[in-house]
Amino acid sequence: MSYVFDLERSAKGLRLNRFLHSLTDAKRRKLFLENPEEAMKDLSDQEKDMVRRLDWKAMQDYGASFFCLEKLARAKGVSNPQMVAHFRGESLEEFLKTRRVPGAR
Amino acid sequence: MARIIGGIGTSHVPTIAMAFDKGRQKDPDWQPLFKGYEPVAKWLAEKKPDVLFFCFNDHATTFFFDHYPTFALGVAEEYAIADEGLGIRKIPPLKGHAGLARHIAKSLVADEFDLTIFQDLPLDHGLHSPLTMMWPTKPDWPGAVIPLVVNVLQHPLPTPRRCFKLGKAIRKAIEAYPEDLKVAMVGTGGLSHQMIGERAGFNDEAWDLEFLELIDRDPERLAEMTIEEFMRRGGNEGAEVIMWLIMRGALDERAKKVHQNYYLPMTTAMAVALFE
Repeated sequence: MSYVFDLERSAKGLRLNRFLHSLTDAKRRKLFLENPEEAMKDLSDQEKDMVRRLDWKAMQDYGASFFCLEKLARAKGVSNPQMVAHFRGESLEEFLKTRRVPGAR
Repeated sequence: MARIIGGIGTSHVPTIAMAFDKGRQKDPDWQPLFKGYEPVAKWLAEKKPDVLFFCFNDHATTFFFDHYPTFALGVAEEYAIADEGLGIRKIPPLKGHAGLARHIAKSLVADEFDLTIFQDLPLDHGLHSPLTMMWPTKPDWPGAVIPLVVNVLQHPLPTPRRCFKLGKAIRKAIEAYPEDLKVAMVGTGGLSHQMIGERAGFNDEAWDLEFLELIDRDPERLAEMTIEEFMRRGGNEGAEVIMWLIMRGALDERAKKVHQNYYLPMTTAMAVALFE
C-alpha cells in the first residue's frame, strides 16, 4: 500500500482531516477534550470510532494526513515517537531500542 | 542594492523547538544539536543580515487541503506565531519586510512563477524551530523574515528542478531591489525521515551525507532527481529537502559550504549547513 498523500487520499480524508486540523483552534480543542461527541458531530461513524480509539494506523490508512494526525496527538498528549511506533506495529519501548538517543524526545 | 550574503540549510524538526523552549542546551542528549548551530548563530551575529528569506513548509497548520498552494510568499509587515495544538510558543511575533517581499512577488510573477501571495497569517515551526537556534529572541528579533511556504505535503509536489530555478529567480529579484539590504537565504527540511507506514522511522545516513556533499558541490545533480528518488532514498517525508535547492539556487554558483553538523538522535536526521 502506498502512503503517499496524493489528491485521491486528500479527497477521501478531507472531512477527517478538517476535523483534525480544527484542533489548532484553542476553542475547538477545549470543546473536543470536554465534549468529544459534540466536537466530532460532522464526522461519519467510522471516523468517530477511529478518533475515539486514537487508532493512528486506521486513520492513516483511511486518508488522514500525518500532519493533521499530529494535531490530535498534541491535544491528547501523544508524542510522535508513540505514533511512529504504532505505525510500525511496535510498543514505544521496542521502537526506542532502535534509536540512537532514546532520551531525545 | 540588496545582496545575498550567504545561505543556511537546516532541519526544522518540531522537537528542536521543544528542546530549545525547555532549555535542554546542556542536556547530553541535545548538546550535539545545539553545538552544531553555534557557528551559524555566530555568523549571523557578525554578518548582521537585515532579512532572512525562509524556504519552508507549513504542516497543515495555517494552510489546509481545502485550498493548498504550491508556492506561497508572505508579504506582510508582521507574522503571528501559530498554535499547532499545544498553544503558542512564547517568542515574539515575526517581523516581515513587506517592501522587499512585494518587490520579490512582482519580480517572480514577471518571471512566470505564478505564486500565491499571503498576509496576516500565523507561521508554524517550519520557520521558527530553526530560527530560535540561530537568532536571539530578546529584546526582539534582530531582523526581518520573508516566508516562502512550499507544498511538500500533498502530491504532486513541485519538482526539484522547479525549486532550483525558483531560487535563481529569487536571486535575480533580490539583487534588483534598490535598497541597500543584506539578505541570507534559509532552506529548511529533512534530512532523512519517514513518519508513516511500515517504513516509519526510516533513515539513511549515507544518503544524508551524500546530499550534504551534493548540495554544496553539485546541486545540479540533485535538481535532476525526481521526487520519487528523493522519497526512496530519504523517506517519504525526507523529500522535503527540495526546499534546500531553492536556497542553493539563490546563492552565487561559487558559494562554498563552510560549516556542517549532522545529528540523528530519534526519527529525523537533524542537519545544519552554512554557505557563503
